[in-house]
Formats: sequence, structure tokens, C-alpha cells
Amino acid sequence: MRALVRDIGILLRPRLAPRGLPRRLRGGASRLLVLGTAGALFWSALFAAAWRVLAYFQGIEEIGDILALKLLSMILIICFALLLFSSILTSLSKLYLSRDLLLVHSLPVPRHRIFLARWLDSTFDSGWMVLLFTLPVFLAYGLVFAAGPAYYGSVIFSLTALALTASGLSALAVMVGVILVPAGRMRSIVIVLGVLLFVALYLAVRLARPEQLVNPEVFESVLAYVGSLQAPVSPLLPSTWAYDSIRAALMGAPGASLFNAALAASAVTVLVCLLAIAAERLYFKGFSRTQVASARIFRGRGISNRLLGALPGPARAFAVKEIKSFLRDQSQWSQLFLIAALVVIYVYNFDALPLERSPIQTVYLQNLFSFLNMALALFVLTAVTARFAYPAVSLEREAFWLVKTSPLSLRTFLRIKFVIYYLPLLVLTETLIVATNLLLQVTPFMMALSTLTVFFLVPGIVSLGVGLGAAYPDFKAENPAQTVTSFGGLIFMIASAALIGLVLLLQAGPVYRIFMAGLHGRLLSPGLWAWTLAAFSAAFALSLLAILLPLRYGEKRLSELHI
Amino acid sequence: MIELTNLTKTYGAFRAVDRLNLRVERGEIFGFIGPNGAGKTTTIKMMGGILAPTAGSVAVCGIDMQADPENAKRRIGFIPDRPYLYEKLTGTEFLKFTADVYGVPEERFSSKAEAVLTQFALADWGQELIESYSHGMKQRLIMAAAILHDPEVLIVDEPMVGLDPLAIIMVKKLFRELAGRGISIFMSTHTLTVAEDICDRIGVIARGRLIASGTTADLQREANVSTSDLEAVFLNLTAQGAVAP
Repeated sequence: MRALVRDIGILLRPRLAPRGLPRRLRGGASRLLVLGTAGALFWSALFAAAWRVLAYFQGIEEIGDILALKLLSMILIICFALLLFSSILTSLSKLYLSRDLLLVHSLPVPRHRIFLARWLDSTFDSGWMVLLFTLPVFLAYGLVFAAGPAYYGSVIFSLTALALTASGLSALAVMVGVILVPAGRMRSIVIVLGVLLFVALYLAVRLARPEQLVNPEVFESVLAYVGSLQAPVSPLLPSTWAYDSIRAALMGAPGASLFNAALAASAVTVLVCLLAIAAERLYFKGFSRTQVASARIFRGRGISNRLLGALPGPARAFAVKEIKSFLRDQSQWSQLFLIAALVVIYVYNFDALPLERSPIQTVYLQNLFSFLNMALALFVLTAVTARFAYPAVSLEREAFWLVKTSPLSLRTFLRIKFVIYYLPLLVLTETLIVATNLLLQVTPFMMALSTLTVFFLVPGIVSLGVGLGAAYPDFKAENPAQTVTSFGGLIFMIASAALIGLVLLLQAGPVYRIFMAGLHGRLLSPGLWAWTLAAFSAAFALSLLAILLPLRYGEKRLSELHI
Repeated sequence: MIELTNLTKTYGAFRAVDRLNLRVERGEIFGFIGPNGAGKTTTIKMMGGILAPTAGSVAVCGIDMQADPENAKRRIGFIPDRPYLYEKLTGTEFLKFTADVYGVPEERFSSKAEAVLTQFALADWGQELIESYSHGMKQRLIMAAAILHDPEVLIVDEPMVGLDPLAIIMVKKLFRELAGRGISIFMSTHTLTVAEDICDRIGVIARGRLIASGTTADLQREANVSTSDLEAVFLNLTAQGAVAP
């Protein structure tokens, strides 16, 4: 036992050293300050929202506690599902795909110990964020229910056991899965399945029209619904053990809380033993299979060459390289499913809007939604840009020397990257805007305003993504797509949100006046014309600056970079 | 063809390359040797335009690397010590990528690509993804790509690392052929026998300074070594360099 703990300790030592922290979490004091402030703000907002909801529930007679506990049960089920999904992806990386595995497997350490060390590492990576950001919710529960210290101890213990159970189950599934399907491909399958599952669940919830619950005409069904709230959840789910333990502590029943905590702890212990036995037999076999390069899925040749034939040589070279690398990297192209799901959900939401039942005038509401929809679509664009365009430079990885030694200026290189991502992202955003505006049946003025605003803001946001991605590249990242969670990624998110906010703020005043004048058949005054001209010129200037400045900044930082 | 003038690179207080002056003529193979951390790779990176010098200049075919980097780089074939490539492209696609970047005409590409792939024993692997190549195969592919656009200067960092004996013989022969066609080759290496076999002149760098330069005979004289073994010359010179102020 002592040897086991010693070996695992040694294997985890590189990770526990300060330099072993995830690359995106390292950096100077200013980076930590920005990341810490953003995290603290988010954490506080979560706490405030949870506290508000729970305090509101407490005010509802008879069913207040039932609702609060049902919510707790749902949070724990969602937590468990998130932990399961996240730990499948993390354990695939940590156990089969990480670069340091070749070294680790060459060490004279039994396989199950290597496995357990990597599994613990993976559990921490997959769980810390989920747990950290659910803590404010549990804190709110503790304060609203005036719980004692035992409750907080129970929360920490139950959540840790839940994370270990989820990670253990995922690792077991992954170990068996990798024997059947190569690790690289399995990650794509998991992502695709996850997205499909999410869309299916989402559509199921949306089709149930939960907004009808606030309609007095269906009140009887709400009473029936409240009755169903008390139905017990399956006792076989690990989240139920966590729920029972936390609920008992919350209600001041330490005995029941301890019993359920012991149940969770015994499950973790059995799981760890099972994992060690399975690892000794399966882990190395699967790892060995992963070393064999997988066959190409797309074997079509020359399609991108023909499509991009008209471009000048260097631009074509990089465009073809970018497209082929994207289509052949399963962790990249499988994300297209995510975008498809996003489009379906986005458009469906607008289709399902119950505008006709609103007490506010429909034409006004339709056009108000259309204006707000611009912000929403541009935030979606920011998220997609963060996922694809921001890591574009980091995706060059250690082959970036090829760019540095090629007769291509960094400016041209960044412009090529920009164009490659700009065109599809423009099509995506305009599709979202036009489709939702058609569903909302907005006025031609709002349609023109939305499409034009988006047309001018998309290049700015993509340029922010590519430029800041170039300014803060990580060529050694295990997964460049995750570089967006770094300091540079945060700066990009803030800058993009600020740009969208400023442009829409500039437009809001004149657009409201013009729209109301149109609605009431009034003529526009010269003052309004001047205001409109000034506001739209400022918005246009901002968009232009957003295109030019980030790319220049990225170029400057990239040229100063030592590789 | 290559001219380094007072080339200097400092990292904070550390001077990695210190006022380096040297000239490589047309058709000459220049070997650059020195202990680990002496400044070889830093020099090579500055010559390839990857790293900006703190002071001094690099000129390739008379073109200043700082003033006109694109034009200077167009004349260089660069071979780094570690073969990092675009793993999701096939060998042939990578050559096409290089050809497009360096402006090799479309009509000449197929025959040239076929020729270099055959020359580097990669013809059977041209349609396979680079991620399935071994270290040596990647190194050979980089070499094939580096000569695809008929460069006037070849800058090579540790050319023989990862190559099998057959490939080493082929590369040595190729370098001689290229030099015979007027291409200048600047090569850093730890393999002293390779430097001895194919280089016209050798420069020895220690602690960022060029401490000796010339033919093997010149170096023997400078190191006060009677044996023709370059290893003894190297040890003697670098030991002197290490104690030099």
C-alpha cells in the first residue's frame, strides 16, 4: 500500500509543481487578477441568483420546500451528468492521448499505478470547474435554510464522492471503449453523441412548452405537476446518494446524512478497486492500440485545391492546408455538429415565441426582439469565433517555424487566417439573423438594419479572434481549441462583448426614434437625421477599428515571439 | 551568398550570440560546430528569419533579412533540427503547400515533387498522412520540401539527426551535388565526421563567439593539434573558448 501511494505521488509530482498547472492558468499577477476577478464576478452572480430563487421559494406556502429540494435534486443530477461527460473527454486525453504518456509508460511502474495516478489527475481536471461553480448554489441553500456546519461538510464530501464516482465510471467505460474503437475516434463519437443527446433533451423540453405553466388556464395541470415533484428519483443513481446526504444535513438529520455519505464512500472504494483490476488487464492494451495511426476518413483529393484555384499561391497554400487539416482532425470537424445544433435551437426558439399572447403591441415587440436578436446572434458569433478563429494561430502548433521561415509576411499570414474564418462565420451569422427576422416578420427597415450591422460587425469580431489569438498563442497546447480559456481568450470575450455593446448602444436611440416615427407615420426631424448620421458613423468607425487594430496587434506580438 | 555582420542576440543579460562575423561563398559548404548552448541554433534561427537579432545583420544573396525578409526567405531552403510539420497533410500535399508558398509553377510541381519524393525514398508514402511518418521520414520530407523551390542558400540545423545510415550517405552526396550547382550550404552539426567529410570550411562557436574558422587544416593549426582528428581539434578549441573572457 505504501509503495502504491509513493508511486502515485511520484507520478503526480510534475503536475503538482507550479509549472504543472494547466498552461492557461499560468501567468503573471495581472493575468491572475483578471481571471480571478472575472471568476469572482461570475461566482457572485451565481450565488445572488441562487439565493434570490431560494428565498422566493421559501415565501411560497406548502410547496416552497418541495420546490427547493426538487431543484437541489435536479442540480445534482445535472452535476453528475456534466461530470460524467466531462470526465469521459478528460480521461480519454489523460489516459490515452497526452504526449507525456510515452515517457510515463516507459517507467518501471505497474500499469494499475500509472492508471490510478492519471485517473486522479483526470478527475481533478474534469471536476474542479463543475464543483467550483456549483458551490455558490450550495452556499445559498445553506444560508436560506440556516443550516449548521455539518451541512457544509456534507456538501464537500458528497460532491467529492460524486466527482470520483463519475470519473471512475467514465474511466471504466473509456477503458472498455478504447479496446473497441481507437481513442482519437472515440472522442469524436462522444462529442457527437453528447451534442445529439443535448439537442434531443432540449427539443423534448421545448416541445413540452414549459411556458404554459404560467398560464392560468392550465393551472390544474400545475397542481398535478407539483404532486409529481415529490416522486422519488432512482436510488441507484450516485446523485441520489449525494442528494439524500445533503438533504438530510440541510434538514438537520446528521444520522441519515452520514449513512448516505458512507454509501457514496463505499461505492467509490469498490469502484477504485474495480478500476485497478481492470487497468492491470485493459489499460496498456488500449494504450498500445492508440499508438497505431488511424486511417483517414476523408480520402477525397483535390476538392479544396480546385475550389481555391483562383487564389494567389501562398494564400491558396494556407487555405488548402487549413481546410484539409480541419476536415481530417476529428476533434475539429466534429464541432460542426455543435454549430448545427446551435442553429437548430436558436431558430426554433424564435419559432416558439408566443408573441400573439403578449399584452404589448405585436409589431413593436417583433421589432424590439429583432434589435435584441442582433446582440444575441453576435454573442453566438463570439462563442463560435472563440472556438474556431481564436485558436487558429495556435493550431499551427510547433510547425509555426514553417510560417516564420516562409517568404510570407506575418501580416499576410494573419489576413489569410482572417479570410478563412470570416466567410463561413459571416454566412452563419447572417443566416441566423435573416431566418429569425423572417420568423419574427419584422419591418424591412429592421431587416436592413440587422443584416447591415451584422455585416460590418462580423469582420471586427473575427479580426478580434484571430488577432488576439495571434497575440496570445500557445503552440505547445495539448488541445489548441482550449486556448480560449486562457488570459488572451478572456480578453477576446470581453473586447468582443464591449464592441457589440457599444455599437448597439450607439444605434439604439436613433433606431427607436426612426421606428416609432414610422409606426406613427411621422416625418424625421433634421435633428434626428443628424443624430442618426453621427451614431451610425461612430458605429461604422468602431467596426473598422475592430477590423484593423487586433490584426496589427497580433502581428506585432507574433513578430516579437521567440519560437 | 550569406553574410553575417556583427550578429548579436541577447536574452536579458545573457549574450547567446556575440558579434558574429562570417561569410559563406557561392557553392560553399560551411559547417558550424560547437558545444551545447554555444549559440548555433540561435544563429541559425536569425539566419532563417525566425528570430530578430539584437544587433548586427544577416544578408542572403545580398538581401538584408531585416529590411526585406520575404525576398530573402524566398532564396532560402530551411531545415530545422526538429521535424514539426502539418501532421494532417499527406507528404505530397505538404510539398504542394511548400510549392505554393514559394511560388513553384504549377506545371513544374508534379515532376519536381515526384523527383524529390523518390530521391528521399518517400515515393511510397506520398499519399499517407504525415502523422503516420517516423521521425526520420519527417526529417527527409522537410529536406525534400527545402530543395523543392531550388533555393540559392540552404540553412540546415543538425541534418543527420534521426536519419538512418543510408539516408546519411544520400544526404551527404546530395549536399555535395547542390554545392556543385552553386548552392551555398550553412550547416550546424554535432556529427564531426559529417562536418569533416563534406564541409569546405568549418566555424567553431563557443559561448556565442566564433572562436575559430577555416578548413580542417587551418583549425588544426589554430588548435595546436597534430592529429587530423577533428574531435581533438574541437575539444581543444572549445576548451580554450570556455576559459576565454
